[in-house]
Amino acid sequence: MSTIFFAQLKKELRRPLFMILLIGASVGVTLLFTGSTQAPMQVAIFSEEVSQDVLDNWEEKLNGNSSFQFETKEAAEALEDVKEGRRDLAIRINNNDYQVVTSSEFPEIAYVEQHVQKAFHEEAMMKAAVSQADNPENMREELEGYLENPPLKIEVSSLKTDDLNNYDIKTQLAFAFALLVAMFLIGFRISNILKDKVTGVRNRILLSPISKTQMYLGYISYSMMIGTIQTLIVFLIFQNFMNYDLGDNFAMLVVITIIFSFSMASIAMLITGMLRTPEQFLAIYPSVIPLLPVISGAYMMPGALTNPVLNFIGDLFPISHAMNAFVEVAFFNPDWIELLKPIVFMLLIGVIAMGIGINLMERRSA
Amino acid sequence: MIETYKLTKAFKGKRAVDEVDFYLDEGESVGLLGPNGAGKSTTISMISTLIKPTSGDVKLNGESIVHNSSKLRKILGVVPQEIALYEELSAYENLKFFGQLYKVEKSILEKRIQSTLELVGLRDRQKDLVKTFSGGMKRRVNIAVALLHNPKVLILDEPTVGIDPQSRNHILEMVRRMKEEQGTTILYTSHYMEEVEQLCERIYVMDHGKVIATGTQSELLSILSNEDTIKIQVDKVTDSLIETIQEIEQVHQVEEDKDNLKIIAKKSSNIVRELVLAVEKEKAQLLNFQMEKPSLEDVFLHLTGRTLRD
Repeated sequence: MSTIFFAQLKKELRRPLFMILLIGASVGVTLLFTGSTQAPMQVAIFSEEVSQDVLDNWEEKLNGNSSFQFETKEAAEALEDVKEGRRDLAIRINNNDYQVVTSSEFPEIAYVEQHVQKAFHEEAMMKAAVSQADNPENMREELEGYLENPPLKIEVSSLKTDDLNNYDIKTQLAFAFALLVAMFLIGFRISNILKDKVTGVRNRILLSPISKTQMYLGYISYSMMIGTIQTLIVFLIFQNFMNYDLGDNFAMLVVITIIFSFSMASIAMLITGMLRTPEQFLAIYPSVIPLLPVISGAYMMPGALTNPVLNFIGDLFPISHAMNAFVEVAFFNPDWIELLKPIVFMLLIGVIAMGIGINLMERRSA
Repeated sequence: MIETYKLTKAFKGKRAVDEVDFYLDEGESVGLLGPNGAGKSTTISMISTLIKPTSGDVKLNGESIVHNSSKLRKILGVVPQEIALYEELSAYENLKFFGQLYKVEKSILEKRIQSTLELVGLRDRQKDLVKTFSGGMKRRVNIAVALLHNPKVLILDEPTVGIDPQSRNHILEMVRRMKEEQGTTILYTSHYMEEVEQLCERIYVMDHGKVIATGTQSELLSILSNEDTIKIQVDKVTDSLIETIQEIEQVHQVEEDKDNLKIIAKKSSNIVRELVLAVEKEKAQLLNFQMEKPSLEDVFLHLTGRTLRD
């Protein structure tokens, strides 16, 4: 097994350009469709009524969300930035309320307003409570302490209606394109079996003392490894160089990626088993693979794809389950039990497709 | 050592190999001669246990190997018709890869790689990628791979197809040395009869999946002992001339080759006169006339009605 694995690796190292191009394509396509890297949105706050100290307090209070970054500015400068289109919006802080100053209608503006409104609502409630107290300063400290460490917590969750506050289509697209490109790489490496069959290398391997199981393990483990490495490199680039938030548990992403690579290698083996020549593979595989993320709804918000037929077809392929798992990890901070379902589905697809694929391959060789 | 009994392989009902009986004694070199599509490669694939026969048996020292191939595979080296190498790797890396597959011990493998590269005359090019090699050099590496584990039996499936005369001579010389110096048992298939004539003690002639003749070279040539091979050159070869010659009673075969006609005819005192008359009748001019000793090519033509390269 290791002999075949390392021979494939040596061939890859002789021609690394293909893999580098795929990694570049994965990042490039995501940026092309999402339009930017994932830097937090800059929002200016200014006031013509409150003091600088009060404004600084609001800046501190508002900067609790990693998606937006609030910074205090002079009123004239903030208004000029919005007017000239250098900023989408600015927040004017008044004594008892606030105003959103904007010249555009991007959906992000609603998110910012929602965030500011929540902060003002909290502050208003705090002020109301403090005004009733005998010792207002102690009361404020006590309340702030309770807000940070509440004695009672109520958590509302549901299987179907998870909180989508953190959802971000850009992150989802990053996952989807990384998997799309990985499917190509894994498939092309599995098709080496077909190439070796045509050139006669496979016959030579079969005539050697190495068993068929070891032979297939060599090809499959290599394809899985190269697919996993490529996907993880793409994830690391997005997370570390483009500020995408891929969730707090990278280990989970690694496990899902490995299982996805196995499952996809099996699908590629199934397609390889049905074909006779590498040329047929080159014609069919690249035509079929781009359809899978579309059918699986990988480019759409969760739940957007409602057609039961497409959902059924999508569920037959690992990308659908891998995307579910990745979205869970990135946005909902799940535990391992919650990931069990997509993982089991991917393993099941992998085992069945691998069994049929190898069987077909052997029948065609007999 | 190796024998087959009524070996048959059918693909979608059509018999590619049809009840072939065949044996190969230890230390001898045997040729399998036949045109493309005769069933040579399929026969070899069954003997080397790569494909299972539809019916019949292959035996090694009296023991069937159809369902238990490990004993044969240990002592067998196969040079396939295709260039079965990784072109992205160097000659050395290819040999190392296949040597490791054959579990040749590390300490021995390095020496074996070097001696094999020396044998095929590529020691000085071992670090070069196979894809940069000429067709002949690739074929030599293809053979070297099959020799790494020091096989007792070597099967070569058309190892000289499409290469330059120099590489071809190198390969033929190498095979001869292996037989003479190491006593390797050789099964050599080709549609070049001169290669089989040079290398092999016994010959099987195959056509349409069947063995149509077998024996030593002289035994096969004796098939034509009552016949002459005559080559005539005329100024123009016409269909009418060929028909007229074919009508001569003693003539068995007429084959056209540019301005030459190759004629196989029953030994007869008046065949020359008959041919001259036929040429005169068709108003052609006889430029050259040659009586030849029959070759294996002529034997094949006699047996099948077509040439080995058809």
